[in-house]
Amino acid sequence: MLALGAAIAAFTGIGAGIGIGIATAKAVDAVARQPEADGKIMKLLLLGCALAEATAIYGFVVSIMILFASK
Amino acid sequence: MLNISIMNVVWTVINLLILYIVFKLFLFKRVDAILLKRREEIEHTKAEAQRKEREAEELKESYAKKLQGAGKECEDLVAQSKKDGYDEYDRIINDAKAKAEQIIIEAKHNAQIEAQREKDAYVSELTDLVVHAANKIAVSKHDEESDKELYNKFIFEAIEKSE
Amino acid sequence: MDIGGLLNELLLEDKVLIHFDFMNGFFDINKSIVVTWGVIAVLAVFLLWLTSNMKVHDISNKQLVAEMIVDGLRGITGGMLGEEAVRYRDYMAVVLVFIGASNLVGLFGLTPATMDLNVTLGLALMSIVLVEVAGIKFKGFGKWMKSFAQPMWVVAPMNILELGIRPLSLCMRLFGNVIGATVIMELLKMAVPVIIPAAFSVYFDIFDGLIQAYVFVFLTSLYIKEAVE
Repeated sequence: MLALGAAIAAFTGIGAGIGIGIATAKAVDAVARQPEADGKIMKLLLLGCALAEATAIYGFVVSIMILFASK
Repeated sequence: MLNISIMNVVWTVINLLILYIVFKLFLFKRVDAILLKRREEIEHTKAEAQRKEREAEELKESYAKKLQGAGKECEDLVAQSKKDGYDEYDRIINDAKAKAEQIIIEAKHNAQIEAQREKDAYVSELTDLVVHAANKIAVSKHDEESDKELYNKFIFEAIEKSE
Repeated sequence: MDIGGLLNELLLEDKVLIHFDFMNGFFDINKSIVVTWGVIAVLAVFLLWLTSNMKVHDISNKQLVAEMIVDGLRGITGGMLGEEAVRYRDYMAVVLVFIGASNLVGLFGLTPATMDLNVTLGLALMSIVLVEVAGIKFKGFGKWMKSFAQPMWVVAPMNILELGIRPLSLCMRLFGNVIGATVIMELLKMAVPVIIPAAFSVYFDIFDGLIQAYVFVFLTSLYIKEAVE
């Protein structure tokens, strides 16, 4: 039962994956349009990825909590 | 794993503040001091350069003005010296005139004195002559002819002497 | 392979290093705090060495590095903070260095200090206090109170909730990232003891650690910028 809960919590990775995918696609689009602004776009992309990744991290923390903190 | 102890949170905050002070004292303050000093020096140098430039500009301007004024000054000088020369000339001429007049006066005076003296000498000679003649007359015999001759001789002598 | 045992060891170990007997262990000092002491000591010695014997002219390479560090840190944080809040850039630079150094401690075989929730919570609390102080200082207390009801009074509860959500999000993001990276690294080390962990360590320890420090500072700067506009 605990393992199941942890597995469900790990589904947050889906959201993070989709989010980062979209962000990267848009960033590639932007760099193709304006190659001279790639430094700025890269910075923003990294930031957006880190923020989107946070949801996956939350899921990871929750699953770990379910597995270990309840003991 | 997720247990929170307040004391450790406080410790973290204190650590962060200590690190902030460390950075402030050892990095930011020191580097800022150096940067400030450098900026001050640059400002100082800039101000100095500006001041010097302004001074040079002023000097240049004053020289230009002086150069411009030099022509006029030159003319003034020439005019002044001319005027001085004329004055001097006048003065010398006047002096010369005055001197000449004085010389003339003196000469006249001298001539008068000389004439007087000559006249005196002449008179005294005449007297002598008269006395001489009188003597001659007294010692020689008296006739009309010889008197006449004597008078003539005397007169001639007198004329000869006076000339 | 005993994954459960490894995770148990990693996540459930006793964090207390120095134990005091009175007040039921209230004054216990965690391992992570001691690690941050070490970080502070190393940074202080490094800075002392770096900024000693500074000159105005004929600067040495050492001083050049010091000036570059100051310029770089201030450039990063000042750019994020914007014109109005530029006076907090030094603090944000210190937070950036602190989190970055704490994350990089993992390279030397220690557990990163930011893997302890207490440390990240302390950082997040400092951040939210700074954000609100900046807001009060800039707007004045009355205007600051009113700013909760903006742009509409309906969103006031949300804004008040944000006071708690923001630090929670900051602290959990940092904590989760570091603990995730550490767990994955430990699992990798268990699975493949050589070569591969070194390559992944570049990403998980160096890149991710620095990115998370940057994100933490960026978000705090964003909040401050928002508070002073």
